[in-house]
Amino acid sequence: MAYKMLDGNGAAVEAIKMAKVQVISAYPITPQSTIAEQLSDLVATGELKAQYVRVESEHTALSVATAAELTGVRAATATASQGLALMHEVAGMTSGCRVPIVMPVVNRGLAAPWTLWADHGDAMSERDTGWLQFYCQNVQEVFDLTVMAYRIAEDENVLTPAMVCMDGFFLSHSMQKIDIPDQEAIDEFIGPFVTKNSYLDPEDPMFVCNLTGPDDFTEMRYQQKVGFDNSIKVIEKVQKEFAQKFGRKLQIIEGYRTDDADVVLVALGSMCGTAKYVVNKLREQGKKVGLAKVTVFRPFPFRQLREVLGGKEVIGVFDRSAGLGGQGGPLWSETCAAIKDYNSDIRHYVGGLGGRDVSVRTIEKIYNELLEIKNGTRKEHTEWIDVKENAMDIRQVLKNA
Amino acid sequence: MVELKFYGIGGQGMVTAGKILSEAVSLYEGKYAITVPSYGAERRGAPVNTSIILDDEPVLVNSFVYNPDIVLVSDPSIIDKGVDVSEGIHEDSILVLNTEDEKVLDAYKKYDFKEIYYVDATRIALDNIGKGIPNGSMLGALAATGIVKIDSVESAIKITFGEKAGEKNARAAREAYEQTKKM
Repeated sequence: MAYKMLDGNGAAVEAIKMAKVQVISAYPITPQSTIAEQLSDLVATGELKAQYVRVESEHTALSVATAAELTGVRAATATASQGLALMHEVAGMTSGCRVPIVMPVVNRGLAAPWTLWADHGDAMSERDTGWLQFYCQNVQEVFDLTVMAYRIAEDENVLTPAMVCMDGFFLSHSMQKIDIPDQEAIDEFIGPFVTKNSYLDPEDPMFVCNLTGPDDFTEMRYQQKVGFDNSIKVIEKVQKEFAQKFGRKLQIIEGYRTDDADVVLVALGSMCGTAKYVVNKLREQGKKVGLAKVTVFRPFPFRQLREVLGGKEVIGVFDRSAGLGGQGGPLWSETCAAIKDYNSDIRHYVGGLGGRDVSVRTIEKIYNELLEIKNGTRKEHTEWIDVKENAMDIRQVLKNA
Repeated sequence: MVELKFYGIGGQGMVTAGKILSEAVSLYEGKYAITVPSYGAERRGAPVNTSIILDDEPVLVNSFVYNPDIVLVSDPSIIDKGVDVSEGIHEDSILVLNTEDEKVLDAYKKYDFKEIYYVDATRIALDNIGKGIPNGSMLGALAATGIVKIDSVESAIKITFGEKAGEKNARAAREAYEQTKKM
């Protein structure tokens, strides 16, 4: 095996390079910037034979990538936070035109207040725009899921763009040892880009995204829904092939020591590694705890989650986004809907916002609360698990108090 | 599992030092490592830190280090800038310090580190690379604790800095490794 030391951004670049994209259009934004920079370097040195289109905004970055892919080449872009928010209008254009772009999203919170750090609020704001969403636990998964995403997104029964989400800094800038397969193996696995359905060709003009009345709009949306429905089987197939070829098994939902667990935590992203560490630690103390790691958030894999959570009396769900105004955050709401007929006590936790570290201590505190609830020694849980006690006092504007 | 925390000031290359250490143990010693840099709105001269976790198995934890086994301080003045380098240490924690100044060493004795490894890494950097950037030489000092082999550090430095700058920085690391004292 060829080990390399890469950070999450470097692993994303490696996967994009090996997918042999031919057009790149990216606008740098912290903490995504090194993806845009490294791709630009690869084009400048000729290592990657692609056209790099410099643009003035993320809105244009995704517009260029989408239009380029419609001409019949694999195209790339990447973003984070405010950049993703600026792409919002185009995101629906990409998915509605069934353009299967694979885009790394380096998760960072949305302003205000201004932040540069990890938070899933950016990707969660885009969860209904018709993109697949994969969340990575570590740098190896950034590479593996990006490679798999091309196969899944471009499958003719799916034709749906994909966001590969990695936590800002905790993954994007975390240096880890990963295994990079050789180019030949990746070529065999991904294959060349093949246009399906709509295309842009000056010799043979076609109107894409024309005004569509009530008589067709529902059906166009329905087609996208069917693409999502189909994607689950395709993801399973691709993950299986990937495991056979490269020896690493990824699951849509990974049940980590959940079989005999008394309580289970449902989580997304880099905190899943820390949660596994805590599971092992508490197991040594005789505490039966487990983790349901959600790798695929869109489509939401309710069948797989139901299997892992079956028979669990007490379940915690950790949202790394505030879910403002909701009964709970997006992961909690989806979990509740997935197991609505189960007799489980499902507790909602919010934390890790704007780069706050989801530490061993934070996750231990959650598991211990869940165990106490299970044993009947506790009723209430700490929903905002890591909020400071003085939350309501900070930045009070005295002049208007 | 060994947890390390590197403290320094912006411009000293501490984040890079964390990455080089991770490379050294991961690529040359068959171990695993992750770096979790604590990025702020960095600028030259401001205190910075980076967390590194080493293990014989893949590292699951993806979080900052709170209870370091080894603390590396590449600029002793950070304790005057509101940084508590002894935060979270335990009875076996070790300090690696960039100084040979008796007064500075005395100031650091007040912390309860089990051992202090020290060398003037800035002078060694100036002698070898012509610049007072001590990240390479501090890694040499770190190797003196036995947590990583000096050969691995030299190899990782050469990969990171390229052939020419790598040679000089690797020489600085070796020199610091040989001159590091313990108290």
